[in-house]
Amino acid sequence: MIYFDNAATTKVKPEEVYKAFEYYVREIGVSPGRGSYSLGISASRMLYQVRKKTGIFFGLENLTNVIFTKNSTEAINLFFHGFLKTGDHVVISCYEHNAVLRPLHYLKSIGMIDYSVIQRNDLELSPEELLEKYAKTNTKVLALTLASNLTGRIIYKSEFFEEAKKRNITTFLDASQGAGKMSLSMKNGQIDYLVFTGHKDLMGLPGTGGLCCRDKEEITPLLQGGTGIFGDAYMNPKVFPEGLEAGTLNMPAIWALGAAIDFCQQNRNEIYKKEKELTELLLEQLSTIKNIIIYDYGFDRLGVVGFNIDGYSSDEIVKYLDTWGICTRGGIHCAILAHEALKTVKTGAVRVSVSSFNTVDEVYEFIDILRRLGE
Amino acid sequence: MNIAFYSTNEVFAGEEKLKQNDIVCEIVPTPVTDKAYCGVCIETEEEEAVSILEGMEFHIIRKGEGHVI
Repeated sequence: MIYFDNAATTKVKPEEVYKAFEYYVREIGVSPGRGSYSLGISASRMLYQVRKKTGIFFGLENLTNVIFTKNSTEAINLFFHGFLKTGDHVVISCYEHNAVLRPLHYLKSIGMIDYSVIQRNDLELSPEELLEKYAKTNTKVLALTLASNLTGRIIYKSEFFEEAKKRNITTFLDASQGAGKMSLSMKNGQIDYLVFTGHKDLMGLPGTGGLCCRDKEEITPLLQGGTGIFGDAYMNPKVFPEGLEAGTLNMPAIWALGAAIDFCQQNRNEIYKKEKELTELLLEQLSTIKNIIIYDYGFDRLGVVGFNIDGYSSDEIVKYLDTWGICTRGGIHCAILAHEALKTVKTGAVRVSVSSFNTVDEVYEFIDILRRLGE
Repeated sequence: MNIAFYSTNEVFAGEEKLKQNDIVCEIVPTPVTDKAYCGVCIETEEEEAVSILEGMEFHIIRKGEGHVI
């Protein structure tokens, strides 16, 4: 089997991640903030350690300004629902995932906010031109994805955020794709808020994500419930981060996330080099296939490639590859704005996404099988 | 004395700071007189701990005194 759907979930994890999960489940097994006996205290200390590690990884100044959630979708919803106020305006790009689009569109549908979408060609504008065109007097947030989950194209540029900050616009980065592969510094990159998910490029387990915040500005909780503190209050306490993390955290996966972050940090150069090699080979070989359309071919990218082949629908190609034991994804990739921009709403697209655990031989085998499509 | 914080996260940040400064301390359940704070707090006998934690938001609880700012 060849697994090329790493943009959805990295299937193969570093050995350290499995070990950390097993250690937590077997040796600790209790929840942080829920018990003041020694084992409960150990769990709380371990949560603190991963929080800090995450903050360091994303270049936060205040290292523990990290709110854990179950994935980036929850973190994005927490931010938009908890931060935006009536009358606010948000600027997003046409490459945003539905996890960004839908909460905003919902808030627009109830008359609370409005948003504008940066069109594909305008992403080439200078930061000044871009914000001159899209920002309004009530623009509160510029929200960009780090990279497209459909084509792999890198969308975030620190220059855009620098310009936004000059205009008192809060900056928000969706790092669901790319966190773990690209070096990010919230401080240097003018990123006020960053969301991540553990199960993709960070190579952790499903069920972890988070919102990193430069400042502890007041955000309304998405969930009300048990926080482990101020149990006598009728509502979540206004305490950061616990007041924003109601409910039992997925601590076994959070502990494994800590191991995943260590792995990414220690092997960053090797991961980058390997994925670059695989992606370049993939692009080079794909481009030799007859009647292929590769989207965003000439742009800086992650190890994700979206394509179509004339005469076949994306689902037909995915099904064909699956018969050869190759896992890719077709159809609409939860990014309707990107499909609209690339004019692939009707066809969908085939997405191939590699990880550093893939091999050159797998790329060649995939290409060889793809060439035989239709034979 | 006990040093209580609103946030559990801060308790462990405080513990880390104290240990980096060779202060002997332990994480213990917060005395029930102070249910307004989180469930665990720092216990130490070293007065120097207070100045080391300067800049953080906490309260001192001394035995039999309730809490003192």
